[in-house]
Amino acid sequence: MTGADHAGLLDALRQFLRSIQKPGVAVESLGLDDPLVASGLLDSLAIMQIVVYLEESYGVDFAAGGFDPERLATMGSIVGLIEQSRG
Amino acid sequence: MFLDLRLGALVEPLSKRRWEPERIATEMSRRIARFQRLGLARGDRVFLTFGNRLEFFAELLAIWRLGGCAVPVDARLTAFEVTTLVQAASPRLAVVDEATDPAVLVALTKAGVTHVSTSDTGDAEATVGHSQMDDDALILFTSGSTGAPKGVVHTHRSLRARWMALREQLGTAAFARTLCMLPTHFGHGLICNCLFPWLSGQDLYITPPFRPDIIMRLGALLDEHRITFMSSVPSVWRMALKMSRRPQAGSLQRVHVGSAPLSAHVWEEIRNWTGTRQVCNAYGITETGSWVAGLADADVPAEDGLIGEGWGAVIKVLRTSETDLPLDAGCECAVGETGYVWLNTPALMKGYFQRDDLTRKAVSDGWFFTGDIGVLDVQGRLSLRGRERDEINKGGMKIYPSDVDAVVERFDKASDVCTFAIEDVLYGQIVGMAVVLSDPQDDTVRALHAWMQHHLAEPKMPSLWWAVAEIARTSRGKINREAVRDACAAQAPLDMVRLLAVGAAP
Repeated sequence: MTGADHAGLLDALRQFLRSIQKPGVAVESLGLDDPLVASGLLDSLAIMQIVVYLEESYGVDFAAGGFDPERLATMGSIVGLIEQSRG
Repeated sequence: MFLDLRLGALVEPLSKRRWEPERIATEMSRRIARFQRLGLARGDRVFLTFGNRLEFFAELLAIWRLGGCAVPVDARLTAFEVTTLVQAASPRLAVVDEATDPAVLVALTKAGVTHVSTSDTGDAEATVGHSQMDDDALILFTSGSTGAPKGVVHTHRSLRARWMALREQLGTAAFARTLCMLPTHFGHGLICNCLFPWLSGQDLYITPPFRPDIIMRLGALLDEHRITFMSSVPSVWRMALKMSRRPQAGSLQRVHVGSAPLSAHVWEEIRNWTGTRQVCNAYGITETGSWVAGLADADVPAEDGLIGEGWGAVIKVLRTSETDLPLDAGCECAVGETGYVWLNTPALMKGYFQRDDLTRKAVSDGWFFTGDIGVLDVQGRLSLRGRERDEINKGGMKIYPSDVDAVVERFDKASDVCTFAIEDVLYGQIVGMAVVLSDPQDDTVRALHAWMQHHLAEPKMPSLWWAVAEIARTSRGKINREAVRDACAAQAPLDMVRLLAVGAAP
C-alpha cells in the first residue's frame, strides 16, 4: 500500500462521511484519531451506514472477520481496516 | 410494590457491577434516609434526570416507599426543555448523576428545585412503606417538552394491573435473565422491559440505551450472561442482524419487538438469528402501561403488522374516533374490517398530568383511543394497518412535530413551520422540516439551527430542512403535513452541511 493509495482511501472516506454526516461539524476539522460519533460528526446509528459502505465499496466481509466496533470509531481505524482487508 | 415479595438482582454487563437483592435493599434504605433528610413527603414528585444504571432503580423504589412519584426524564433534554417540564410538574427534588449536563443543574437551581447526586446517599438507613395503591407512582412525559407538556400518570394500581396481566399471560420463567437496552424514561423500557421482570423476582441486566457498540456485540452479550429475554425496537434489530454474530448458547427463550412496526421479513430474520420462534410484536402504549397486546405463544407464521391478542385488555376496532360521545356496539367494525383501535384495560393511566382536556380527548368511558388503525381477525387477533397519530417514529423513539414546531415558532425570523416524517431505511422515519423565513439568507438558517440546538434535544433536530414560501393548510386552516411533505419531496433540501460549514471549526 503506497502513500498515494492511503491518501486516496482517506479522501474517498471523507467524501462518503460528508454524505451521511450531521450538519455543524466539518469533516476536515477532524484528525485521523478523532472519534466520529463523540465529535458530533455522526449519529451513532450511522455506523451501520459505514458498514454498508465498506462492504459495497471494498468488499469487507464483516461476517467472516468478526466485528470490533473500535475499528469503525475513527477515520484512521477505518482506513486501516480497508487496508487490512486488502491484504 | 413488589409482585413477588422479592426482587431480582440488578446487573450492568458493561461495568460488571451486580447488586444482589440484599445490596439493593441497602441502597434503597440509604436513599430513603437521604430523601427524608431532604424533606420528601408523600405525594411529592422527584425528577430522575438519568437512567439505565443500578442506582436509578434504587432511587425509584426509595421514592415509592416514601409515597412519592418518580418522573424519569430523558438525560438528553436541553436545559430549556427540563425547565419546561419543571414548570409543569413542580418537582420537590431532582436526582442527577455525574453525566448530567451542567446547564441542566443550573436550570434546576434557577427553578428552585433542589438536586442531589444519586451517589450522595450517606450511610444512614431507613425503612418505610408509605405508598398507597392509588398514589401517583410514575409520570412519563411523552411530548410537549418545548411547550405544553403531556405527562402520562400511572398509579401503583395501574402499574400493578399491567404487571399482573403480563404475569398471567406470559408467566415469569422466560424472564429469568432479562436484558434491557431501552431507555428507562420510556414506558416500553421502564414499565415492561425492566420493572415487570425485576419486580417479579427475575434478574435484570441493564445497559445504556441505543449504543451501537453494544448492539454490535449483542450475540456475545447474550451468551456471556445467558440472557433468556430481551425487548427492543426494529432499528436496533436491523443493526444487530447485520453486525453482530449470532448467539450460540441457545439461552434466549423469548424476544419482544415494539415501539415501531415490525415487518414479517425482519421478524423471521430475528427468529433465525436468535434461535427461538418465540419472537413477537409487543404492542404497547405508555398510556396503557406499554405491552397491552401480543402473542403469548408466538410460534406462528410472521405477518406484517400482526400483533395478537390483548394482554389484560379488551381490544375493539371501531368506526369512530370520537371520544366525546358514548361508544356503542353499533360502531364496532366487523371481522376483517379496518377501523380505529380502542383499548379497555385496568392498566390505563390515571390521566395526563394536570391536562384533563387532553385526557378527555383520549379516553371515553374508560376506553382509550390509541390513534392506531387496525383490524381484528376471526381469532380476535389484532393487526395494525397504520396510524393517525401525529408523531414521527425515529428508531422507536416518538418525536412530536408540535415539539419541534414550538421551538421554531419562537425564532423571530420564522413566520411558519411544519415538521413531518420522512421514511428512512435505517431509522424507519426521520425528521424533516419546512420553514418559512422572513429573511431567507444563509445567516438566518445558521441562526435558526443554533437556536434549535439550544432548545431541542439532539434526537429531535430535523435531519432535512427546506426553506419554503408557504406552508400548505387544510380548508379548516390546519397544517397539512402530508401536503407539505409531498411538496418538499419534489425539491432538494437545504445543503445544511455546506451552510453550517461556515463558522465551524477549521
